[in-house]
Amino acid sequence: MACAEFEQLLLEYPELENGARARVDAHVAQCSGCREFLDALLVVDSQLTAEFAGQEVSASFAPAVHQRVQSAAPLARPSLVPELLDFAGWGAIAALAGLLAWWLVPLVPVPHWELSLDASFAAVGAFLLAALLVGIRSFADLKD
Amino acid sequence: MEQEIRACLYQKRYQEAFERLLPEFQNKVFRLAYAMLGDAALAEDMPQEIFVRIWKALPGYRGQSSLSTWIYAITRNACLTALKAIGAKREVSMEAPGVARAVESRGTVSVPRAGVDVLRFLDQLPEKHQQVMRLYYMEEKSYEEVARLLEWPMGTVKTYLHRARKELAEAVARSKMKKGTR
Repeated sequence: MACAEFEQLLLEYPELENGARARVDAHVAQCSGCREFLDALLVVDSQLTAEFAGQEVSASFAPAVHQRVQSAAPLARPSLVPELLDFAGWGAIAALAGLLAWWLVPLVPVPHWELSLDASFAAVGAFLLAALLVGIRSFADLKD
Repeated sequence: MEQEIRACLYQKRYQEAFERLLPEFQNKVFRLAYAMLGDAALAEDMPQEIFVRIWKALPGYRGQSSLSTWIYAITRNACLTALKAIGAKREVSMEAPGVARAVESRGTVSVPRAGVDVLRFLDQLPEKHQQVMRLYYMEEKSYEEVARLLEWPMGTVKTYLHRARKELAEAVARSKMKKGTR
């Protein structure tokens, strides 16, 4: 195995299995180039860990945020657009399903009972009613 | 905790929801902002601004994604906007020496250190490599957490990290060699 491949393994060292680790250790013990690379990698890891690990906000952070939030404008009432889109979407799905049923019903042989055009319209009506109920529920959610 | 916050939001108790989410997410938001902006001073102020944006956006949260995903998306968008503004300032600074000094003083002056200064080498890496490296060390070397916060595929995170660590290690080795030959 070439040194470039061992360098790659050194970068993944913590994730290596025991067998691979042993191979890397044996190579590093007798290869000065890879040992230098490992030493440099340890310098990188130790300096960046010291610089960045355990970074947290200061104790004054939360009070400062609260102050900024209090001075911000009051919350706007949520938009009705998503609910309207919900209603339109459900309505469109219901209408499509109804149209599909209206188109399919004459093609499907039904032995004992026959679906009329009225039944298809009834199905469309039921779907639209369901869509309306979903829409009403969404509007109700918006009430304070 | 996320379930409790979502319950508050569903019942439109926005103040209570905010009181709960601030301590829960303040450090994550700070780290993500610091990793993306690479400037502790800027990152100190940016998360405050981000939480004001989150507060204003709370009534619009409809639970399509998890709360953490939503908060990190707001954080990333705010940081990307800030990075664009910094980039624009740098372009102006080419023509205005006074502005150039102000922009250059934005935390890029590295503090002299004993031995090799890895942070100076880190500043020279491509921006995305810098971001992933800072976050990797801030998040206790967790690939999963880095991928989740930046919303990058795990493979991309690992590739960037390996390249960046390799480049830094090579730069450190070269620097040591130079010092050794002097």
